[in-house]
Amino acid sequence: MMAYEKTEGVRDARFDRSRPETERQTQLSRPAQLLVACAVAVCFTVAVVHVLMEFLYVAPSNTISRQYSQQINAWIDPYFDQNWQLFAPDPQSADQQISARTAMAGPQGVRQVGDWVDLTAIDEAAVRHDAFPSHTSQNMLRRAWSGYLDSHESSDESTTPQARMLQEYLLNIAAQRVAAHGQHGFDLVQLRVTTTPIAPPSSGASVSDATAAPSSVRYLPWWKVEAK
Amino acid sequence: MITDQASGAPLRVRRTRRSRAPIVGNPRPDPVTRAFTFVTEQPVSLHAAAVLRVGYGLLYLVYLLREFPNREEIWGPGSPWTPDLARELLGQTGWFSILTLSDSPRYFEACYALAVVTAALFMLGWHTRALSVLFAVVVTSFQGRSVLMTDGGDNLIVLMAIYLALTDCGRRWSLDAARRARPRVSVRTQVPRQGPLPSPSVRQQAILVQRSLRTLLHNCGMFVIAAQVCILYGSAGLYKVQGDLWRNGTALHYVLNLSLFRPWPELSQFADEHRLIIAAAGYLTVLAQVGFPFALFSRLKYVVLGLLLVMHIGIAVLMGLPMFSGAMIIADAVFLPDRFLLRLTRAGRRRRTDATGYVAPQSGHKDSSTLDRPIC
Repeated sequence: MMAYEKTEGVRDARFDRSRPETERQTQLSRPAQLLVACAVAVCFTVAVVHVLMEFLYVAPSNTISRQYSQQINAWIDPYFDQNWQLFAPDPQSADQQISARTAMAGPQGVRQVGDWVDLTAIDEAAVRHDAFPSHTSQNMLRRAWSGYLDSHESSDESTTPQARMLQEYLLNIAAQRVAAHGQHGFDLVQLRVTTTPIAPPSSGASVSDATAAPSSVRYLPWWKVEAK
Repeated sequence: MITDQASGAPLRVRRTRRSRAPIVGNPRPDPVTRAFTFVTEQPVSLHAAAVLRVGYGLLYLVYLLREFPNREEIWGPGSPWTPDLARELLGQTGWFSILTLSDSPRYFEACYALAVVTAALFMLGWHTRALSVLFAVVVTSFQGRSVLMTDGGDNLIVLMAIYLALTDCGRRWSLDAARRARPRVSVRTQVPRQGPLPSPSVRQQAILVQRSLRTLLHNCGMFVIAAQVCILYGSAGLYKVQGDLWRNGTALHYVLNLSLFRPWPELSQFADEHRLIIAAAGYLTVLAQVGFPFALFSRLKYVVLGLLLVMHIGIAVLMGLPMFSGAMIIADAVFLPDRFLLRLTRAGRRRRTDATGYVAPQSGHKDSSTLDRPIC
């Protein structure tokens, strides 16, 4: 492939060197020149505006980006949406461990509640010693939960369409994972999220100052599984 | 003669035209004319564009194959992010995905196969113009279907796939380039042309205009790609300097302890025990990211690119994010001048000839004027 490539390069070069810079333009007729000039103006403007809009969109919020947020969003959304807050401003300093349990109606209407299944532990086990972990273990549950948190604030009531969609998504993930774990026939699912802060680095020899803050546990309400 | 021109070989056309048209205009044109000539006539960094094409095509192919066992869960009709949910979100954002057009499992499998084939052919540079557009459609479709399962790496691949469709990324190191280099005059002359030919001057003008527009689009695309990478690092750095943990040098300690990003816990543990190195690496990361756009216009860029390469390899291995790191490393390649890339390939070939004893024919490319201009 390289050999072909080279011959082409040489041909181009021989041609280029023997050709004065302006000559090409004299080849284009007036209307053609005008057309290309217009295209240059349009492309140049679009490229510069695009780069500016992108910068304002991703940079930390500032006077300009606040004032023109509508125009900026209209330009960027949806295909150029991006966010480069990679471990920033601060990396996440806590681990979230998500478990699920199921319930089904028993013989006399008594509800039978299953054991907790640690969904995060399943993801962690899948990631361990894998040089190319799957998005299903690293991103699916993790991002579903952070999306749920963002859309629900403190209450578990889904008031916006986004919140309802994320609640349904989280429920679907839990139901699928628990079913894959061997539990079937349930009609309710509950999630429990344990947040454990990562201990700060111990300074020097003393281990005692590196104590982590205690974990906090959040129970989500029982959600009804829609029969499919 | 007309047949040759009609064959669309642009070089021929330009040469014929030159021999006929008297050279007017002064030999030292004004800056505006020079800039105009440059953007419409000199496609920048064609080799770097080829590296991006091969890189993203390969990366996406590997990603698709890696997720083969999970394809149904990520993009299929049986995903927890159901087709209805996906359609609702796509409707809200205005995104388009071919995957939500039908809920049939067979349709999904066909789309998956299309994606694999598209990524492979795009990587090889087969009919790159059309394939680059198809690749962008495939990548955005798969992203739109599973946007809640993606990370920064996927995001960057989407942006690059869209921008690469503007560039002439198939001009070098591609099947297209190989096909163009093959002699084909004999075949052409045998093909009888049908119908009346438009006047040669109109055809020539059309070809010239098309060529100019193509070059213009390529240059704009490469400019936007380069700017995109600067914006990425610049804003990542700007956010980091706002964080207390990055300022006090402990950020990487927390990063190394995230349980889902520790594929090799022993390795993460080992790195985490070296506090000083961790703190230094944290500061270096912030400095390299914030300083990235400023380092590009000097030889310092090789140092910064080298630092970022090491950083990304570290992220790939330690955190189990090869796709994210790969996307970033490939993006960085946009700043490698063609001279540098060709030297690399030559060194690689020399090593191979040393091993086999075969001497590859050497020609061209020693003269810097044969090279495409670097983007910066």
